[in-house]
Amino acid sequence: MKRNELEHILKEYHRDAYLWARQCCGFDEDLAKDVLQICYLKILEGKARLQEIEKSKSWLFSVIRFTAIDELRKNNKNQPLLEEFDRQETYEELDSTDYQEIISQLPIRQREVILMVFYHQMTLEQCANILEVSIGTARTHYDRGKKKLRELILKNQTLEQNGK
Amino acid sequence: MENDELIRDFFSEMKKQDRHLEIPEFPEEKAKAKSFNWWIPIGIAASLVFGFLILGKNEPQVEPVPEVLIITLEQINGQELQFHIEETTEMDIWESPTASLLTEF
Repeated sequence: MKRNELEHILKEYHRDAYLWARQCCGFDEDLAKDVLQICYLKILEGKARLQEIEKSKSWLFSVIRFTAIDELRKNNKNQPLLEEFDRQETYEELDSTDYQEIISQLPIRQREVILMVFYHQMTLEQCANILEVSIGTARTHYDRGKKKLRELILKNQTLEQNGK
Repeated sequence: MENDELIRDFFSEMKKQDRHLEIPEFPEEKAKAKSFNWWIPIGIAASLVFGFLILGKNEPQVEPVPEVLIITLEQINGQELQFHIEETTEMDIWESPTASLLTEF
């Protein structure tokens, strides 16, 4: 694929790509900018290659996700133990408009799937491709993530109402 | 579906909040800077040609150092012998030292 075609794709998804990079970096804006810069270089220098143009958004999200994991590992900011386990229950009251903090309460895989489906309007098949898991595993993360997020939203709403 | 509605509302509000985020500009300049700049090799080639032209013209002419000394013994007026010394850069006339032996008297 020619360089100008790649640039066109990157420009088209630039906003979504930045938001996804920010979400993959634990909402750290500076790190997200660095990750995006590294991704664009990887793509334009041909280190990351797009095979099917129809899957360009999934492919870009996948490159961003893996680059973010690498950068977080370099900065020792990754939390490997949380990948498959739920965070310990915290009973402190969260602001119900602090969406980032609420979503950060989810285990990482569930968070990624929920963000991709509800925020970026992706299908479970696309999520499975990005996470490099089977569609069944993606569905499991999706169901668990939805259940957990619903509980968190309701808990925060209840705590806010009781506090008033 | 009612449960999904709760989550959809949550993300709808989250997106509204994210509209105020400052999105960095697409790094066009950096991407273009990577392309090959043909002015660099053209400049180097032009400098070399110019250098050869200037230096080639002013190359000093080196005078050859006399390396050969020819000493001949000449007879003047059939009686008096006299040495004749001559310097040259090359030996264009060479005579064997024993050539005189071949002379018939």
